[in-house]
This record gives sequence, C-alpha cells and structure tokens, in this order.
Amino acid sequence: MKRNRPIVNIAIAVAAFLVLIVELFPIGITLLNGFRRDVIILSAKPFEFSQLSLRSYELVLARPGFVKSLWTSVEVGLLSTAASIIVAAMAAYGISRFRFKGRNLLAYSFLVFRMLPQISLVIALYLMFKSLGIRDTVFGLTLAHTSFNVPYVIWLLLPFFTAVDKSYEEAAMVDGCTRFGVFRRVFLPIVSPGLVVGAVFAFINSWNEFLYALILTGINARTAPVSINSLIGSDILTWGQVCAGGTILLLPIFIFTVSMQRFLIRGVSAGGVKG
Amino acid sequence: MSSPKPATSGSSGKDETGGATPFPTRAKRSGRGGAPLLFLAPALLVVFAVLIFPILFSLFVSTWNWPLSEGLGPRVFVGMGNYLTLFTDSEFWNSLRLQLGFVFIALPIELILGYAAALLLNREFFGAGFVRTLLLLPVFFLPVLSGIIWRFMLQPRYGPLAQILVALGIPETSWLGTPGWAYAAVILQDIWRMWPFMFMLIYAGLSNIPGELLEAAEIDGARYWQRVRIIITPLLTPTIMTALLLRLIDALRIFSEVFAMTEGGPGTATLLFSLYANKQAFTYMKVGMASAMAIFLLVLSVVFALTLVRRNMSLEELERKAGN
Repeated sequence: MKRNRPIVNIAIAVAAFLVLIVELFPIGITLLNGFRRDVIILSAKPFEFSQLSLRSYELVLARPGFVKSLWTSVEVGLLSTAASIIVAAMAAYGISRFRFKGRNLLAYSFLVFRMLPQISLVIALYLMFKSLGIRDTVFGLTLAHTSFNVPYVIWLLLPFFTAVDKSYEEAAMVDGCTRFGVFRRVFLPIVSPGLVVGAVFAFINSWNEFLYALILTGINARTAPVSINSLIGSDILTWGQVCAGGTILLLPIFIFTVSMQRFLIRGVSAGGVKG
Repeated sequence: MSSPKPATSGSSGKDETGGATPFPTRAKRSGRGGAPLLFLAPALLVVFAVLIFPILFSLFVSTWNWPLSEGLGPRVFVGMGNYLTLFTDSEFWNSLRLQLGFVFIALPIELILGYAAALLLNREFFGAGFVRTLLLLPVFFLPVLSGIIWRFMLQPRYGPLAQILVALGIPETSWLGTPGWAYAAVILQDIWRMWPFMFMLIYAGLSNIPGELLEAAEIDGARYWQRVRIIITPLLTPTIMTALLLRLIDALRIFSEVFAMTEGGPGTATLLFSLYANKQAFTYMKVGMASAMAIFLLVLSVVFALTLVRRNMSLEELERKAGN
C-alpha cells in the first residue's frame, strides 16, 4: 500500500526476516533436535548437527504408550469435532434464522461460555466423571472437549450463516420441505466452506488441549500432549524423543496454519471482533 | 468470505412482504416458539451438562471441606469458610500476585511488539506474505510443547538458548532453577508465543483503514509518525481493546505452558493461579478450597468476558452486514 524507496524495502525485508528467525527459533530447535540422538544433545554442543539420525523417532514410536496416545488424540479430536459441528451448526442456524425471546442473551452467553477458564470446570468435571465412571475414557474426554468447542464453533459459524441469503430456504419451504429438511439439504451444503473451517479449528483446539486431558484421563484415554509431557520430569533425559514426538504433534499445526491462512484471524477471534 | 446469493430476481419483493417473520407460511404452521428450540436443544443440553452443571457443582463444593477421595476424611459443610481461608492463605495471595504480574507485564509488551510489527509489515516487500503467515505459527504451537521446548532451551550446559547466553558472556545460570529468572522466563515464553496474536488482529485492523485517508493526510503534509498518532492509532483503538481483552481472558487462565516449563517452581515462584488451584485439588487434595479458587477465577473472567461482549455487539453487526 505504500511506495517505498528500494533501500527502505530491503531494510524492512531484512528486519522482518530477522524477527521471523527469532520467532521460529524454538520451532526450529524442536524440528532439528528430533533428528539428534539424546547422547549428542546432552554433549553440550547445541548447534552441531553432524550426526543426524532417525533414532529418536524410532525410540519414541517404540513406546507403546506414546503411539496409543497419538491415536487417542486423533480419536478424541475427530469425535469432539464431529459432535461440536453438528450441535453448533444446529444452534447457529437457530440463532441466525429465528427471532425469539432471549435470543441475544443466549447468543452472548455462548460467547461468554467459550471464555471460561478451564481450571474452573475441570475440578467439577473430575468429580462428576469419577462418580459416573467415565473418567479416563475417550467418551468422557470428548464430552469435556465439547465444552469449549461447541460455544466456540457456534460463534465461528455465525458469520458464515448470517451471510446466506434466505431466499434459497424460502423456495424450498414453499416446495413443501420441512424446516429440518431445509436445514439439512438446502442450508448445510451452502455453508459447507464454513463447516470445514469450523471443523478444522475445533480439531486443532482439541489437539492442543492439555489440562482436561491431564486431569480427566489416566492410562486408557491419555492423549499425546500429556504423554509427551510425561517423557520429561523424570531423571532420564530424553529430549531427542521429546522433540521427535513434538514434531509429529506439530505436523497438523503446520498444515493448518498454511492452509487456513485466510481464516486464522476469524478463528482466533470468533465472536470477539466486530464483523 | 463467501456470500452465496441465488440469481432469482423476485426474492427481494418476497422479503419485504415477509417483514419481521422471515418464513410466514411454514413458521406459523410449525409454531414459532417450538422450532428454534428444536435446533438449539442439543447445544443447550451440552452447555448444561459440561458448563452450567459443573459451575453450579463447583459453587456447591466450594462451600464444603471436601477431600479428594472419601478415604481422606468426611465432607463437612463450611459455608463461606473456604473463601475466608483463601484470603488468609499466603500461597493464594502469592499465586494471585504472580498471575496479575504475569498479565500486566506480558500483555503491554505483546501489544507494543504486535503494533510495531503491524506498522512495519503493512507494506509490500520481498516475501511479505510468507513472513506474515509464518509469524503466526507460535500462536498455534501446542501450548504444552511450547513449555517443554522453552524448558529444554534454558537447560544449563546443553540448552541452546542457555548456550547462546553463555556465548554472549553471561555467566552460566540455572535459569529455571532461580525464582526470579524462572518467572521472567515464563513471561518471556508467553510474549514469544502470543505477540503474533496481537500482530495478527492489529494488522487486520490496519489493512481495513482506507488508503485514501492516509494518502490525503500525506498530501496535507502529515509525517509518518503524525499519521500513526493522529489517524491510525485512534482508528485502531477498538481493535486494540478487543485484542487486549481476548488476550487478558486467555492469559488469566494460563496453565499448560507453565506446568510443562516449571511445574510452578522452583518453590512457588511460578505457581500462577490455575497451577495453584490444580495443586490445591490434586496435591493437597482439598477440592473445596480448589473449587473456591475456581469460582473466584470464573467470576473474574466473566467480568472481562461480559465487557468484551458489551463492546462488541457482533450479532447485530453480523446481521446488518449480511443484510438479513
């Protein structure tokens, strides 16, 4: 938008890339150290990358607990995403297509619910899940993840939903479609781009989540973030494996950040930013 | 963003006759009270089961002396006792102080860095799009992994960042083993991870400022800093306030990064609010006390969340923009 002299442009590009290098340094450390063996990492030469190997990957993937926790993460992520998208799409449709008493109050309370501190819920959820016998189950953790994903996805979907012209649905109603039929067969296909964005963000929320997984699971439904954190803390120093496992966990994040570029702002501020 | 519109030209006339009730024919038949409830019922059920009920239950538990498991002793009703105990508990005040200090140090720095970067990068240069996208990677970096990597980087003797500091002539220090440094490191980790969040929102606000406005000011002889001060900053203030509130609500509940990085230590040097509540519940096994802390933080967060909601009546804004 601005016309700069070439020298200014070069200076800005250099400054920008320097900032980027600082920002990506810890990420680079994770990626590189995944290919270094633990012995070499501990040898006090942090920037020597001569003997790269896949040993740390082999070791971390040979841990049955880690591989299982990866699958649990995928499972909980997919289940809570599916549940949240269905429930939130219906709710966002209800809010954007009907006028009823308490509509604003309801919409805004969803917005507040998405901002509650997790620690405020997790203690009660722990007691509840324990007495219901669903602690340390995929079902229980999925349910806990819907507590942030449902309100979040509702507000992520609302802009997509309000942007759809009503005449499509009106035409279908005139043709004798039921209200739910209209929603499912006419409306959802139109807003499918929004549903994809909502699903991807919900999955990432679930994938990154740590506190619920830490408190509400034990051995059976432990997710990868908890499992990777348990690799440290003992006197055995396995940073190479931590970084290899971390890199595996970061793969969806890389794909997500690059492919969702256009929607990142909307995603992090769902409902928080005007328009 | 996609806003599909059907090509039929007769629809606008129908809208006007429809007026307040968008679907007159069917809406009357199906009963206008029942249909929205049908669509909202699943969400309400979820909200009740995993949000409203746990909150009410926390409120209830917070009035009891409630050991984590039954073998640890009887449950005794104490009324406001847990809350009163909290206010005389030095560890509680310590965690609150650390938490507020964390917020008030990290957020202004994140804002300044984000604003500066947004101003700097709001132009075309070689690789601009590339830089702007990759800057956002830390925001979506797994919080727990971020904590782990910072812990690794700061390890004495072999940690990459610790080694860089030694190379710069700073004496070898156990950064995460020293209370003050550990707290600073926790804050630094958050600044590293989250200033791009500020950048992202402010940059978006900046690109929405009409170019003509800035060009007119330039023609009138306003220097760059005058334009920033007189035109850009006032126009961006709503965006900045929103970004700050979103960050504030998020920073108040920070847990994973710090837990992975320091576990609240050394001692209680980085035992932020959520970490202390967690410790009350699962180390001291005092669930009643932990619930009182949970309610305290909940109220604080809801106050800020309501402020955010009131500032951004986005539902109406959304509809006005969509013209529905």
